[in-house]
Amino acid sequence: MRDPYEILGVAKTATADDIRKAYRKLAKKLHPDLNPGDKRAEEQFKEVAAANDLLSDPDKRRRFDAGEIDASGAEKAPPNARYYRDYAGESGHPYEGHGAYGDFAQGDDMFAELLRRAAEQARRRPGADLHYELQVEFLDAVNGATRTITLPGGGTLQVTIPSGVEDGQILRLRGKGAPSPGEGEPGDALVQIVVRPHRFFTREGDNILIDLPVTVKEAALGAEVRTPTTTGSVMLRIPKRSNTGDMLRLRGKGVKKRDGAGDELVKLKVMMPTEAEPELETFLANWTPASQYDPRKDL
Amino acid sequence: MITEREFLQRARLDRATLSIWIEEEWLIPGRTAHELAFTDMDLARANLIHDLKDKMGVNDEGLGVILHLIDQMHALRRALADTLNSARERRIPPAGG
Repeated sequence: MRDPYEILGVAKTATADDIRKAYRKLAKKLHPDLNPGDKRAEEQFKEVAAANDLLSDPDKRRRFDAGEIDASGAEKAPPNARYYRDYAGESGHPYEGHGAYGDFAQGDDMFAELLRRAAEQARRRPGADLHYELQVEFLDAVNGATRTITLPGGGTLQVTIPSGVEDGQILRLRGKGAPSPGEGEPGDALVQIVVRPHRFFTREGDNILIDLPVTVKEAALGAEVRTPTTTGSVMLRIPKRSNTGDMLRLRGKGVKKRDGAGDELVKLKVMMPTEAEPELETFLANWTPASQYDPRKDL
Repeated sequence: MITEREFLQRARLDRATLSIWIEEEWLIPGRTAHELAFTDMDLARANLIHDLKDKMGVNDEGLGVILHLIDQMHALRRALADTLNSARERRIPPAGG
């Protein structure tokens, strides 16, 4: 790296003020955003910034003068990762300048025509897409619903949630985004759906899963049990000798979509009574099982 | 997308300064339903504003003027690029040629 005094164009005896002034002068001349078309400006600007970093810090300057550190010791000055000019060349951003060449675009020569066409294109450019997030109750996501988003500006956005919408899915509302900077179509509103978990339903693809607690008696003898589904309760027949973990299927009671519906999968969970049951205890104490059933034989 | 919190940190700004910059339209962030939404471009622009203020000593009055002129310059550069591209496509010889 070159000598920092040389880079800033100051004498070794320069005061802190001289250095600051020299740096400012060069920064104004070389800043990449003030020289958008000059590739070398960035390199030169970084060099100047590094030299300033070294010489504007009295301790670093002293150590440099004493030969303790070399000029590269200052190069860790964090340069901007990317400059504004790296983005400003694109179109359709909120900072876009307008009317900078309106006067050239009058007349009938070839360049006027080209500028007019470019201006026309800019005018027809659509507005930006706006992103929103919408929290949806589990059942609304399964069954569909209509919700209203209140926008920061005070407006509202009506969102029709299609039945079976999935967590993370993005709904595109055409024309509900930012207006065009010119006379183009407005952008779209992109609404990302966040599905809140349900107290007892979960979802796997188009199937709805539920753990259904049953009593020992219901499991042993079989029963008709009221079972919640996403569209209300139904009676479910529990077969005789059911077990914890047995899966029963309620066909068509899953997520309904245009191309059919999933099922509700009911997983049984046999529950022992929580209160004392002397009769049951007496019975079990005196009970000799008919078979040699060992639930742990596979362990 | 960059959240307001992340933006404040990465752009080395406090909330009060940010709201002034937005009020002055030095920054024009996007908005989601609940908060401001920033882009990498906003971040680069914030760095430019810092550079202009801190490194070059531009005052607040001058800053708005400079940003406006820079944006006009980029619009012109684009118009020039579009024009040159169209001219190249049509194989029109450069003016004076």
